[in-house]
Amino acid sequence: MNLNLKADKAHTFDAIVVGSGMTGGMAAKELTERGLQVLMIERGREVKHIEDYDTAMKGPWEFEHRGKVSIHSAEEYWANSRFGTLANEETGPFFTDDQKNPYIEKRPFDWIRAYHTGGKSMHWGRQSYRMNKNDFEANAKEGIAIDWPIRYEDLEPWYTHVEKFVGISGQAEGWDVLPDGHYLPAMPMSAPERYFKETMMKKLNRPVTIGRVANLTKPQSWHTDLSRASCQYRSKCSRGCPYGAYYSSLSGSIPAARKTDKLTVLHDTIASEIIYDEKTKKAKGVRVINQNTMAVEEFFAKIVFLNAGSMNTAALLLNSKSNRFPAGLGNDSDQVGRNIMDHHLGVGANATVEGFENDYIFGQRPNALYIPRFRNWGTDKKDFLRGYGYQGGASKTDWKRGITMNGFGASFKEDMSRPGTWTMGFGGFGEILPDPSNRMFLDKEKKDKWGIPMIVFDAAFGENELTMRKDMMASAVEMLEAAGFKDVTGFNRQDTHPGLGIHDMGTARMGKDPKSSVLNKFNQVHDCKNVFVTDGAAMVSSSCVNPSITYMAMTARAADYAVGELKKQNL
Amino acid sequence: MNRRTAITHVAALLGGAFSAPTLLAMQRWENRLPLENFPAELILTENQKQIVAEVAEMIIPKTTTPGAKDAGVPAFIVMMVQDCYKAPEHKSFVEGINNLEKKQFLTLSNEQKTALLKQVETDSAEEMKAYQVQQTKMGDNEDREQMAAQKKGLPYWRLMKELTMLGYFTSEAGIKSSFEYVPIPGKLEMIQMQPNQKSFAY
Repeated sequence: MNLNLKADKAHTFDAIVVGSGMTGGMAAKELTERGLQVLMIERGREVKHIEDYDTAMKGPWEFEHRGKVSIHSAEEYWANSRFGTLANEETGPFFTDDQKNPYIEKRPFDWIRAYHTGGKSMHWGRQSYRMNKNDFEANAKEGIAIDWPIRYEDLEPWYTHVEKFVGISGQAEGWDVLPDGHYLPAMPMSAPERYFKETMMKKLNRPVTIGRVANLTKPQSWHTDLSRASCQYRSKCSRGCPYGAYYSSLSGSIPAARKTDKLTVLHDTIASEIIYDEKTKKAKGVRVINQNTMAVEEFFAKIVFLNAGSMNTAALLLNSKSNRFPAGLGNDSDQVGRNIMDHHLGVGANATVEGFENDYIFGQRPNALYIPRFRNWGTDKKDFLRGYGYQGGASKTDWKRGITMNGFGASFKEDMSRPGTWTMGFGGFGEILPDPSNRMFLDKEKKDKWGIPMIVFDAAFGENELTMRKDMMASAVEMLEAAGFKDVTGFNRQDTHPGLGIHDMGTARMGKDPKSSVLNKFNQVHDCKNVFVTDGAAMVSSSCVNPSITYMAMTARAADYAVGELKKQNL
Repeated sequence: MNRRTAITHVAALLGGAFSAPTLLAMQRWENRLPLENFPAELILTENQKQIVAEVAEMIIPKTTTPGAKDAGVPAFIVMMVQDCYKAPEHKSFVEGINNLEKKQFLTLSNEQKTALLKQVETDSAEEMKAYQVQQTKMGDNEDREQMAAQKKGLPYWRLMKELTMLGYFTSEAGIKSSFEYVPIPGKLEMIQMQPNQKSFAY
């Protein structure tokens, strides 16, 4: 009896956070700093900050295939390798083996995962933009899907809160379309980029700014307190940064949560089900499976935060069936798993830049230029809804230019050791509209090796996205030509699928009405108020800006609210 | 030395330095690609291997700085064709070597070798047009090269050129002798080119 009580106690926390990535880390930090004992559950292996960044300091010659993906790796990481090259030996450790973690595609879906401590925060692009006021209002104004239950003003203080903590380098510009945040000094633009910025404003009235990126250019005391140092401009971020210069859960939120002495982390622990208590009408905990030993355990808490990544969060809700929620926890509306959004990409243009021969760059900038949305903004009106932003910039060609050039021998070799001409290019990130028929669900029969139903994807780009893509390529060409650059070539890749943006979101949307949404305005599951979903699943529309900073702001806001409600004994 | 013995040798050399997962991975790699299933056309004769080495050295010759052979590029090329390309490229790679072998490449004078390789280069430029090579700029400043899928493998010259350059300019000897190698820049600066400015490599 005593033993059981002890065991129960060891399994009981104030809060359980499922996932250790971008939002899981932030939830753990915000909850522990407000005094809660938190259990964080991570399904993948443990990665220790710095000491497990095995490839971080390697020279190019230390990678067997020198950045190329072997046929063998391409088979293991098949979803990743259909388009990308991230499963190479440099960054592969922070991506997930698709062969060992299969999923089912009714329609193709590029599901890129990161099953380890820190999740996708280990390899994110670090671009951090606030959504603008219109992003929160557009659904209502245009009659698309449902309205957001919150507005920009609700999130504004929380954007500031997380931006300061994360540390974002950028330039405040005063543009409505891209609200300014709290920034560390901006990274410089190269000479052709400065020329491009000026020319775009003059000729096309389109703003260009330096990327707002979560790399420390001037660490503040709260960064150095966590042993985070300044960026060294190696641009090898996705190998893991031994300087802690780019923000990840490992460099930022998890160390901050550990400082409170209130964080417990379990690795190799897959959350299979949320345990619903029919009597209290609340969740009482989470059932988990150890991915190696297959041991099943239960953990209990007053509140549960779901931060497993949009698709796994939705799968966990769907797999949590009870008498009250026969279709999955919080799924009265049948919206769990629906409205998958992402950002579509692989479309833009490249050009050769003449001149600026004497200009060069020392160091590798882990950042690019950003061209905020200009479509359907102000007086602009196109034959599609919403818009897109571009990321890209200028660089001098290196030896790789020789691969497609004619020539070989001594003078060719000598020539290849010197920088070539400047080139400039941009790729777009387009908003995807929510559509209930873009969905994921659990297979009725097929199960993974842990006995959890497999995820089936059934989603595709819609007419609006396909029409937008044509304009994304045309406008990129237009801008590079307006700048007077040469050999301007557009591209619009047809072989990308939803998911590839790795901004997958929308599968448990917020809303005002429980009949058409899964979460309320504080990210609580309607009718199961002690379960909070604060990863990308909560998104009602996708905007076209990179979403992580929004997810983090939403998480901090929900955590603050949750602790307040706990104190008022409302949860 | 075949792959299996190579792995055993390396493992022994390192005195069990490989972790269990690495050894498992090697084992699995072995099981997946047993020697007998290796594409036969990729088993090169000594003469063919010498052609690979000689062509690589013609592309990146030893000058005041090391050449392709010094940097271990020939073995790298064969390994890469094996590991990173599929049957169509295996075929075109060997076909290209065979063509040079027929013309007694190794016995030619330097001038004749250069002239022959120039011809090969011109011919493959024509072949490459079918591939519709396209540069794609992804977000986060990543460049990718995309080619239309072809039944026929990439031309021999393109494979040789790319793999020779990749092997050389990412080798320790190649990087350090060709470029200003700055693994930890520590700062980001927009600068003016110096006389004889070499590329920075990171």
